[in-house]
Amino acid sequence: MNAPFYKFDLFGFDVSLIIAFVIGIGFGFALERGGFGSARILAAQFYFTNMRVLKVMFTAIVTAMIGVFYLSYIGYLDLSLIFISDTYIIPQVVGGLILGMGFIIGGYCPGTSFVAFSTGKKDAIVFILGVTFGIFIFAELFPFIEDFYYSTNMGRVTLPDFFGLSYGMVVFLVVLMALGAFAAAEWGERVMAKKGESK
Amino acid sequence: MKNYIINLSGSKKLAMVGLILGLVAVLLGNPYDNTFAKVNVKALSVESIRDSEIINVKELAGWIIEGRVDYRLVDLRDEEAYKEYFIPTAVNIPTSKLLESNLMRNQKILLYCEDNIKAAQGWFILKANNYKGVYILNGGVDSWKDEILFPNISANASPEEKAEFDKMVEVSEFFGGSPQVGETEGEKEIKMPKIEMPAAIPMNTGGGKPKREGC
Repeated sequence: MNAPFYKFDLFGFDVSLIIAFVIGIGFGFALERGGFGSARILAAQFYFTNMRVLKVMFTAIVTAMIGVFYLSYIGYLDLSLIFISDTYIIPQVVGGLILGMGFIIGGYCPGTSFVAFSTGKKDAIVFILGVTFGIFIFAELFPFIEDFYYSTNMGRVTLPDFFGLSYGMVVFLVVLMALGAFAAAEWGERVMAKKGESK
Repeated sequence: MKNYIINLSGSKKLAMVGLILGLVAVLLGNPYDNTFAKVNVKALSVESIRDSEIINVKELAGWIIEGRVDYRLVDLRDEEAYKEYFIPTAVNIPTSKLLESNLMRNQKILLYCEDNIKAAQGWFILKANNYKGVYILNGGVDSWKDEILFPNISANASPEEKAEFDKMVEVSEFFGGSPQVGETEGEKEIKMPKIEMPAAIPMNTGGGKPKREGC
């Protein structure tokens, strides 16, 4: 038995939707337990008073990266079948900035807003309405920004390709980066806490 | 040292595990690498190329006419031969580039070359790399020419043979070929018509059943 199961036809499209639902519920549960159902915690990340978002996200990235690397190394996972979307560098930078602004203003990202809504947060439903409205505006404007949307296509780029490093080296460097970020985050939180006390 | 590790907090222990796994990863290198394949020789020898994995040209002609897209037709010959003529819907992947191609392991892959021998080489390479559905076009391009593009019938054929031939004429014309009647003797004198890609057939380069992916 080899992964990815869907690509190897272990189940069809219909079953994949059920599996996606189960995984989605699990993902939402993990987000909620990680504290991502609270706009206060999420927004605090951007003011560097609470680094929980950075810690949880980097932990998830490192865990998934190590898992994928070793599973494919022992031959259980066919890495070449994993979907990697194309890189459109400038449109994606612009899109990231817009999403980031919305994140700070609204206190949620699209995924966490649904998590927060499921626990009954009223601000989350307002945020979801905003997201829906934004999607509507984007869809209506799409013909005018289509050229920009598809510009600067770099194709399928991965960090090892881009930097010309081996995959193992990139795994190691990202782990180092994560551990460095964790240490810096803990230190930063202590500094911010002291500042808070002295005020 | 032992006490030092025991006294670390849970998250620090996890961080150390991550660091160790990351260090080992440097030594392991590239998980994408498929130059060296581990082959189960015994399984492969028992399996060999089964009859069901050999598709004949008439079957393929039927698939193309029906517009089936649940398989990928791969031309293993070099680029020049491919440019000269290729069986409609085929993509060109020379044998040496087979592993760098974007063929999917879950796809039905139908290989052809001039004849069966080179196609069998491609079959072995893909099978050794864990491709599941690999098929060979029986007789390759040569058979395609003989049976589909320029089918031949002797003048004194039986009525059954004739009926069969009439059906083939339509197929042949669909692919831009020209059926030959009764020149078993003077075959050498007749100039082979230039094989050209029939323009009427829409090229389908996309492979297999489209699977939805991405977010």
